[in-house]
Amino acid sequence: MLLIKCPYCGERDQSEFTNGGEAHVTRPKNPEQVTDREWAEYVFIRSNPKGIYYERWVHSHGCKKWFNAVRNTSTDEILLTYKIGETPPPIKKFQNTLKSPSGEPDVGSGNFTVKKP
Amino acid sequence: MTDNKIYFKFDGKKYSGVKGDTIASALLRNNVKLVGRSFKYHRPRGIYTCGIEEPNALVQIINEFNEPNVRATVKKIYEGMVVKSQNRWPSLKRDFGSINNLLSPIFSAGFYYKTFMGPKGFWKNLYEPLIRRTAGLGKPPREFKSKSTHLHHNVDILIVGGGLSGLLAAKKLAGTDKDVLLIERENELGGILKNSNKVKSINDQKTSEWLEKTERLLKNSTNIKILKNTTVTTYNYSNHLTAIEDRSVGIEPDNKKSELVLHKIRTENTILANGHIERFLSFRNNDLPGVMLAASFEKYIQRYDVVPDNNPVIFTNNSSTYSLLKLLIDRNCIPRAYVDVRDVKKIERETLDLLEAHNIPFYPKSEVEGCDGNNKIKKISLRTKKNKIIKIEASMLCISGGINPDIHLFTQSKGLVKWDEKILTFKPEKSFQKTITLGSVSGNFIFKKIIDEVNQKLNFIDGVNDIDIKIEVNGSEEFNIKEIWETKNNNNSLWSKSFIDLQNDVTTKDLTQAIREGFDRIEHLKRFTTNSMGTDQGKISSINALGIVSKLLKKSVSEVGTTTYRPPYNPVSFSAIAGRSTYEFYDPERKTPIHPWHLKHNAVFEDVGQWKRPWYYKKYENESMNEAVQRESKQVRESAGILDGSTLGKIEIKGKDALEFVNMMYTNSFTKMKPMSAKYALMLGEDGMVKDDGIVCKINDNHFITTTTSGGAANVLSHMEEFAQTEWPNLNVYLNSITEQFATFNISGPKSRIILSRVFNNIDFSNHKFPYMTFNTFDYLNYKVRILRASFTGEQGYEIYVPPKYALTLWERIFYYSRDVDLVPYGTETMHLLRAEKGYIIVGQETDGTVTPLDLNLNWMIGKKKKDFIGKRSLTRSDIIKGDRKQLVGLVPVDKSYGIEEGQHVIEDKNIPSQIDKPIKMLGHVTSSYFSPTLNHSIAMALIKEGNRKIGSQIYVSTSNMNVIPVEVVKPNFLDPENKRLLS
Repeated sequence: MLLIKCPYCGERDQSEFTNGGEAHVTRPKNPEQVTDREWAEYVFIRSNPKGIYYERWVHSHGCKKWFNAVRNTSTDEILLTYKIGETPPPIKKFQNTLKSPSGEPDVGSGNFTVKKP
Repeated sequence: MTDNKIYFKFDGKKYSGVKGDTIASALLRNNVKLVGRSFKYHRPRGIYTCGIEEPNALVQIINEFNEPNVRATVKKIYEGMVVKSQNRWPSLKRDFGSINNLLSPIFSAGFYYKTFMGPKGFWKNLYEPLIRRTAGLGKPPREFKSKSTHLHHNVDILIVGGGLSGLLAAKKLAGTDKDVLLIERENELGGILKNSNKVKSINDQKTSEWLEKTERLLKNSTNIKILKNTTVTTYNYSNHLTAIEDRSVGIEPDNKKSELVLHKIRTENTILANGHIERFLSFRNNDLPGVMLAASFEKYIQRYDVVPDNNPVIFTNNSSTYSLLKLLIDRNCIPRAYVDVRDVKKIERETLDLLEAHNIPFYPKSEVEGCDGNNKIKKISLRTKKNKIIKIEASMLCISGGINPDIHLFTQSKGLVKWDEKILTFKPEKSFQKTITLGSVSGNFIFKKIIDEVNQKLNFIDGVNDIDIKIEVNGSEEFNIKEIWETKNNNNSLWSKSFIDLQNDVTTKDLTQAIREGFDRIEHLKRFTTNSMGTDQGKISSINALGIVSKLLKKSVSEVGTTTYRPPYNPVSFSAIAGRSTYEFYDPERKTPIHPWHLKHNAVFEDVGQWKRPWYYKKYENESMNEAVQRESKQVRESAGILDGSTLGKIEIKGKDALEFVNMMYTNSFTKMKPMSAKYALMLGEDGMVKDDGIVCKINDNHFITTTTSGGAANVLSHMEEFAQTEWPNLNVYLNSITEQFATFNISGPKSRIILSRVFNNIDFSNHKFPYMTFNTFDYLNYKVRILRASFTGEQGYEIYVPPKYALTLWERIFYYSRDVDLVPYGTETMHLLRAEKGYIIVGQETDGTVTPLDLNLNWMIGKKKKDFIGKRSLTRSDIIKGDRKQLVGLVPVDKSYGIEEGQHVIEDKNIPSQIDKPIKMLGHVTSSYFSPTLNHSIAMALIKEGNRKIGSQIYVSTSNMNVIPVEVVKPNFLDPENKRLLS
């Protein structure tokens, strides 16, 4: 179970939180003026990277506040949390974080717990 | 000793053990070697190990609710315990299922997948019940009573394992300002010091004296807490570990006390000092009762003072068996033979001297070919240096195939492991979290190096000092292992077996076959053969399987890799996970303030979310649901009915920007709406699909109250919160759930106005003063009620909102004033029927997350002039506006005597071929269907392709007996389409 730092309450168990998907997906200002494709991008399409991911969480069994988090999806490490409205930190800042628990490739999954000779 | 005797029963026979005995040690004390039958082949099995790694000796505890698959090597006995062996019939010695052993040549890997393919229906009715009867382990428990609690710990350092290295780590940390938790699996600290005589002395004291002194020191340190009888089962992210403590070791569990405690531990640093597990070797009949791991044999002598056999044969490929040899000789038990696969030059002097001095038959560069016997070992056959087979009479065989660091928890923590060619096993290479490994788990098998390791690895912690101890060992500290996984089999018969997984009955032949069939990746191979997938997770054998596979594939073990170690480390009882969250505490029941009245009036309840809602009321003992619903519906239409609607979700929306917010959340327009009026409103997701519906009451532009469906209340509130906080944080709006602040009654029917005028005699309920879809708040007695003119039945109707405290009295008062009016209480089923007669939808019944308001013909609810609302743009997406979507229609059977079944397919063609070769074209499905007592025929609603265009035509609905009934497509409004009743 992850330990997540709510920007309002501090570090709490993951069980108090709900994940809310990718962060910084902005709702088009004038929905009427965007094409079907652009609208579908906003409604359905999420980036789903292996590595650094900006996502939203809500402290649903706590203060009920939404906030943003930067998580490394290959290690499940939450690197940073910040309040809604705050400027997201640049991705460069996290480039030196460990990519995966076992040094497996950037793309693809699988548990690579054995160090190759 | 006699005072210490404990009596227990095994398979109906009474045995005695001593205090502290496990079932296994007590049985060995009584010379019982056969304790169970195997999973697939029903082969006789005995006690293989002396701890949690046991694959064979699983038993059922009859007096503990029939608890199955209990490890006899772990569970301690107590007076009056009743134990039974598993997977045998009629008895352990004569088991009918052992016929499987005769049939075994056909039960090879993948047998089930390949064999039980058809014909249709055979799996469910024949194969599965048959397999369930004959394969498997224990029988499920008869009853479940949770006797466990959960405890949380937040510590600086967690030490897993109270053996030598764990104790040294704790000693080093004693007196510092770190909070330390030390967890030990056994009931005593000591680990290897208790299990073997490998360590002779510590600081020139007996190990037992040193242990006592150390434990006293730790107990006196205020910063160290010790948990015994506790097994760490899971190592999660963020240094979160869970452990199970058994609080009923050696005593009969008491229903009033917690038997198990689930500890949830969050720590800054984890020290894994959880030791190693000896592995076995594969040879012919390596599963026969009498075969036991050498270190386990030693542990029985050292810890339990039981010598399982006075003259066993020892078979090894490494030097760790020296201590067993010495221990046996010290006890005047002379092994029948000592078989070592290594050359004499590789064997230490001490061993050779002992063997020589006691005239023990010694076979270097030899191996055990197999063993034979009926239900237990009688003869052991050896292949000597010169490839000659000789047979030795013996009843036990102690084997050692090497030592594996217990890396299970380490890999769970996502640590990286590496194959070590010197000790022929995987050992930790790099931690992923703040994890430190100490002692044999880190691959350090040399006692004299432990103290350096502890000092070196823990010196980063503030406030610790170097510690020093002097360790003397028996014999040398060499390990000198030689690679061997399986010995050569001299018996080529189809029935000869050499096991690689004892619990799941996987043989080495299965591995060969799996590779031959293409399952050459270790994860595939594991699943195909079920190797190491038993409750023991192959603790003594999974590395051996990798060894054998690597030889077959001609690859190194590193290249083969390991399978993933997954939590839990050890089987965890469901009752420990459940803790106190059982029965009513697992999923709380929510009851309305009127609940006692419903009970008194024979309501049958339906679960809606966590709510208990009256489904229907039984007027007399044998009234069926159908009869009750017909009676209730009729009465509502003829006089009046009352429904307890307290479960409806209610959300209060306040703030300067409340109007703008509500306009965004719902499809309807609320701008021009008059204060103190209400609107039936739809909520969509951004994808344009109907999410919820309810009534929005506008008090003024800054204050709204909305209702939601009973089950959707929490979701709707969090949906609103999400948008308020993330999308429009600039809007001044506050949301609050007020579901439980008001009880709600829905009164409807032609007589509802008369009833309300009597109850609230100062309020004018006339159409002129109190029109449809308006509301107001009134003083009543000493509290306030809000009354809304609205209806979900199509009749004249009112909703009354009242503080819960006064709800039951008001409810009874309403009945008091309706004595001559025939007011009927009705439940949710009648509500559903009445709304279906009017074609009103229920979100979740007419909709399923793929239905837009246009599909429901609710275009009138969309605020055309509104620039934006959640989901608006999606309603003009090309896929949403295309004409052939499914639309909501009504269905009436052509022959009025027929009934339509809910959920049935709607089809165009009336002929269903008896042999169906290609899919039948399906138009849609029936979403709701009822028999209307007012119309006296069946009515249904359905979502069908191009439904609007099909109105007036005849189509067909399938039935559950493979028939079809013709129906007419109509508009989904069966009763009073002009709304005369509603507006009366």
